[in-house]
Amino acid sequence: MSYFNIDAQALNTYDAIVIGSGISGGWAAKELTGKGLRTLVLERGRDVRHITDYPTTNTQPWEFEHRNQLRREVKEANPIISKCYAFYEGTEQFFVKDAEHPYIQEKPFDWIRGYQVGGKSLMWARQTQRWSDFDFEGPARDGFAVDWPIRYADIAPWYSYVERFAGISGNKDGLATLPDGEFLPPHEWNCVEKHFQKKVAGKYKDRHVIMGRAAHITKPQQVHYDQGRAQCQHRTICERGCPFGGYFSSNSSTIPWAAKTGKMTLRPNSVVHSIIYDEKKGRATGVRVVDSQTKKMTEYYARIIFLNAAALNSNLVLLNSTSTRFPNGLGNDSGVLGKYAAFHNYRAGISAEYDGELDSTTDGRRPNSPYIPRFRNVLKQETNFLRGYAAGFSAGRSSYSDQNAVGADLKQSLLNPKLGGWYVGSHMMGETIPKESNYVALDSSLKDPFGIPQLKIAIAYDDNDDKMVKDYQEQLTEMFTEAGFKNIRVRDSHASPGLDIHEMGGVRMGKDPKTSMLNKWNQLHAVKNVFVTDGSCMTSTSTQNPSLTYMALTARAADYAVKAMKKGLV
Amino acid sequence: MAGALGGLVSLPAWANGWTAETVHSPQQILSRSQTDLLAEFVETIIPTTDTPGAKALNVHQFVQKMVADCYPKPSQETLQKGLDSLDGLAKTSFGKPFADGNTAQRTALLTQLSKSSDTAQKDFYSLVKGLTVRGYMTSEYVMTNLTHYQFIPGHYYGCVPVQPKAVSQTK
Repeated sequence: MSYFNIDAQALNTYDAIVIGSGISGGWAAKELTGKGLRTLVLERGRDVRHITDYPTTNTQPWEFEHRNQLRREVKEANPIISKCYAFYEGTEQFFVKDAEHPYIQEKPFDWIRGYQVGGKSLMWARQTQRWSDFDFEGPARDGFAVDWPIRYADIAPWYSYVERFAGISGNKDGLATLPDGEFLPPHEWNCVEKHFQKKVAGKYKDRHVIMGRAAHITKPQQVHYDQGRAQCQHRTICERGCPFGGYFSSNSSTIPWAAKTGKMTLRPNSVVHSIIYDEKKGRATGVRVVDSQTKKMTEYYARIIFLNAAALNSNLVLLNSTSTRFPNGLGNDSGVLGKYAAFHNYRAGISAEYDGELDSTTDGRRPNSPYIPRFRNVLKQETNFLRGYAAGFSAGRSSYSDQNAVGADLKQSLLNPKLGGWYVGSHMMGETIPKESNYVALDSSLKDPFGIPQLKIAIAYDDNDDKMVKDYQEQLTEMFTEAGFKNIRVRDSHASPGLDIHEMGGVRMGKDPKTSMLNKWNQLHAVKNVFVTDGSCMTSTSTQNPSLTYMALTARAADYAVKAMKKGLV
Repeated sequence: MAGALGGLVSLPAWANGWTAETVHSPQQILSRSQTDLLAEFVETIIPTTDTPGAKALNVHQFVQKMVADCYPKPSQETLQKGLDSLDGLAKTSFGKPFADGNTAQRTALLTQLSKSSDTAQKDFYSLVKGLTVRGYMTSEYVMTNLTHYQFIPGHYYGCVPVQPKAVSQTK
């Protein structure tokens, strides 16, 4: 080996490599640099700096040429991403366009991606509910997937740790199904939401309507000021990036925090091809990176590797990391890699009207809404389907103006809208059961623009999901009826999996290396210096919005990884 | 696409002081005379009173832009043909080109279109009226001076007594 190569190798060597800078990668970067590790953070997309790179953050509604409607040619060229509720004229820059990053839908799957520094943490829905033991114990009790190797007590302190830093608003509701956290003050209820809460509490002992816990700074603490973040200003245009840092994102929080340590090297435009496994050393030694601009491949090296490429892409990286020792993907002795993928069922919804509380209305805007934690099959199996669903709920006062006229009368009517009644609505968030037949795999011939095999996705609903949709519609109808809501309408969107943007699994945690990929520290059973802490690690999905759990698992794994490094265990 | 340029421009886009008109030159689907006629049409829908009407607020440009850029292709023909038929209908109705009619004559003609059994006429009217209302209500003038849009509310109060005159806010 020449001196040049030795130098190049030294130059490309770090203590740790983090693959991905989204919600979990950002936490890995913060934790590892905070513990003194020289850390290379690889991001496949472009750099997006907090505030500076939010081009529409201060755009007034009338400044959008098409008032935030997508152009016809954008919709026609992007049938997949155009289905996403958060993709509009003001956010086009933060979503992956269909043609840029192709994949194969063995079964219909709308894969929503954000390739940039910060990943999808820029545009996420910011709901942050803790799991409880009713969730962690689900697979073992109900006999699906494999038992989680951790319980609530293992992760509780880490929930607290990430909540304090990220800034989570919420009310301490004292519910066993949805443990309380380290909360900033909760958002306000409106009168009809309060009415619904009271009516539900009066009829059902086990059903609760609470204010959603959300990653919004409702009352800044010193730790938030230290990040350069301020109080949420209720603009409710979060997905364009927030100049106040009012909600949590990697861009506003963990990435700049990691940068401040001086230990982080952030390399955008770096598409990870695979993780390098050294057969002699019996460990991973680094990663192969394709520069998305030059298409040149470079190797980087480190003692430990955190894989946080987002659920399905982390599967892809491991599947593409083959060696003599691991011909079927890194750490894949069990053969379960890519399998037992799952997601959240968002198909069902319900809406209605309410003609009470007409002497009250709302003022301002709220980036959050009430939440109904899972109440089905919690203590025991009681329905003809496994597990259950959580639900979002909200009410709002309508206003209308008569638009039949033409001329001065129309103008007068438009400028003097009348308050209408209240409208109420809810959507379901159902647990889906991970199955071997819901999987992702590499295509044997098709490659992406970087020469990496395309991902084949075969993920679908099953009978359990259909039954759950029906039950949600029935139960919410009953609850809405109890509250005196009128004109109740239920729906089933039949949307493909993927639009929930809660895809999980494929690299699941478990106790037994024969049936799982990761141990209780999110460490590959077979390659101890590789940690996977994004959505791919999820053994089951339960019903909570998952990001908070990824954050907590990441901080916990990083703590373990650094301790293990110091003891010479990895 | 803004995303592709993100790494190359040094100033954030919102600091450049661009206006909607300067970003894209709109794809022109109407001739000059059709555009002028559309301006009179939207002005009839929402006229100048003690505040500016749709024409002064460039709502006709907004209508054209939306149909050209966002609407299904057949809407372009609906708009073009509708405008081309307008003067003929005006002559039948009040004996002059549309633009020369007085307010009452023009308003009557629009009301006639709204009730027309001719699908093309009705579609034309609905298309332009819907976009005119939208363009007017989301114009800077109206949102700033008349409906008092709050870009940064800073709060959410859930239970507020109804005021005698309440004006709603939209995002």
